[in-house]
Amino acid sequence: MASLNQCLASLARLNLTAPARPTAVASTIPKFLLPTATATATASSVRYASGGGGMRKRPVKKKKVYKTFRSYDLSPMEQFSLCDAMRYLRAFEVGRPPTVVKYELAVKLKTHKSGPVIRNRIRLPYPVKTDTRIGVVCPEDSPMMVEAQQLGAVAVGQESLFESIRQGNIPFNKLICHVDSQEALSKSYLGKILGPKGLMPNTKTKTITSDIKATMQELIGADEYRERTGVVRLAVGQLGFTPQMLSDNIKSLMSMLKADINNIDDSYTKALDEIVLSSTNGPGFSLNGIFLSADEKLKPEHLQSVM
Amino acid sequence: MVGVIRRLNQLTALVRIRNGPGAAVLPQDVTRIHMEFAHKINGGHMGPRKFWRDALPRLKYWNPAVPMVVNRSNNQEGPAMLTLYFREPGSAFTSDIPQPSSSTEGFAKAPVPAPGERVLTIDMKNRRSEAILKEFMDKSGAVAVKMTPQDEAKLREVEDLEATGAIDREKVAKMNAAAKREKQMIAQAHSEAAAIKAAL
Repeated sequence: MASLNQCLASLARLNLTAPARPTAVASTIPKFLLPTATATATASSVRYASGGGGMRKRPVKKKKVYKTFRSYDLSPMEQFSLCDAMRYLRAFEVGRPPTVVKYELAVKLKTHKSGPVIRNRIRLPYPVKTDTRIGVVCPEDSPMMVEAQQLGAVAVGQESLFESIRQGNIPFNKLICHVDSQEALSKSYLGKILGPKGLMPNTKTKTITSDIKATMQELIGADEYRERTGVVRLAVGQLGFTPQMLSDNIKSLMSMLKADINNIDDSYTKALDEIVLSSTNGPGFSLNGIFLSADEKLKPEHLQSVM
Repeated sequence: MVGVIRRLNQLTALVRIRNGPGAAVLPQDVTRIHMEFAHKINGGHMGPRKFWRDALPRLKYWNPAVPMVVNRSNNQEGPAMLTLYFREPGSAFTSDIPQPSSSTEGFAKAPVPAPGERVLTIDMKNRRSEAILKEFMDKSGAVAVKMTPQDEAKLREVEDLEATGAIDREKVAKMNAAAKREKQMIAQAHSEAAAIKAAL
């Protein structure tokens, strides 16, 4: 009977103003709906502010906030020479189309979570991607427009191009903008569409330019990389590459990265931590910087057969 | 980036690619291997697919210089053939001659044997991968690799880790299910209370 009274009381209270006393449970749940065990537990443990003590308040532990990305002790990590890593990766990728499968490099940096990030473009000695389609924003009916089209841009124009982008027609995977059209571009409010795709032209990425020709030539066959959560990731080769080709690509990327690190203001510490080579379907191999295999029987020539 | 220990565990599992079915060294006179089968398993293509996924990586690891080309096609009624190419005794044939690389569209047909080369074929259709591997070992004359004591120890380590992992996974699954059930009950109570409130 008591429970029924309680129930009616709680229902009646719903129509009144705020409850006279704070209830232990959120008042939207009538008590009869709660699981019985909880209901009895709360009924017996209802306490009011008057009586002695109550629950002791424990200080809330503050979670430690790290200013840098985590850096691991690499001493237990098994590290591989380039040829050894390639041997494993080629075994993992056997029978897959060699132009589709890529070698990927992840370069972990010792760096702060805030501050400048590394972001640049590189033209690898042996290009990995070959499908660069460039769109150019430049004033309509200008000589630049004709020039861009002759250089192989897939979409050229200003208002007409903006309109087709708004309609979701984006045939390009790189977009550059001439300085003269910069104002029109910022007025077109395309940032919402182009921003998430990483296509929005920007002075920082050198995609707003006064020399369309030079930028286009630079873009074709160039790969962009940037540091995300303390790691720079980039595809550095196709599965069909020989060890020497892959080594050349990795070397040129690493020297570029070192230059980028040196360019950053001295007040921010940034340093190389670890280099990991993986492939589309393979595991990651931490590289030790040596080219030749630890196994003397394995020669680089053995790793260039048709895949 | 993923922590060192987790990545290291993955690398310890490389013992599986060094040992197991297919870990064998091919004789010097095998010049290349070609496989042809369909993408999906129906029409008797399960065995070849398994052979490609299980045995071929091990063969490739132990014979990195031998070209192994896989031609997969969408034609489920098509053939499932493995072709072994051998160098004729005394011929100076090298396996780095240009040939089509692996394809997923059925473009990499088995090349005709070059002069100084002979072929052996294995019909893989409607057969289990173990049977295919056995015939492959017999026909090619490959020698299975013996597991080293270090690898044996590593394999035991991997197996132990997997066993503890299975136990932990079960435990966590139970905890997750309990949390989910509780959440569901509370949500139900909330919705019923809201219904009553609306009815009043």
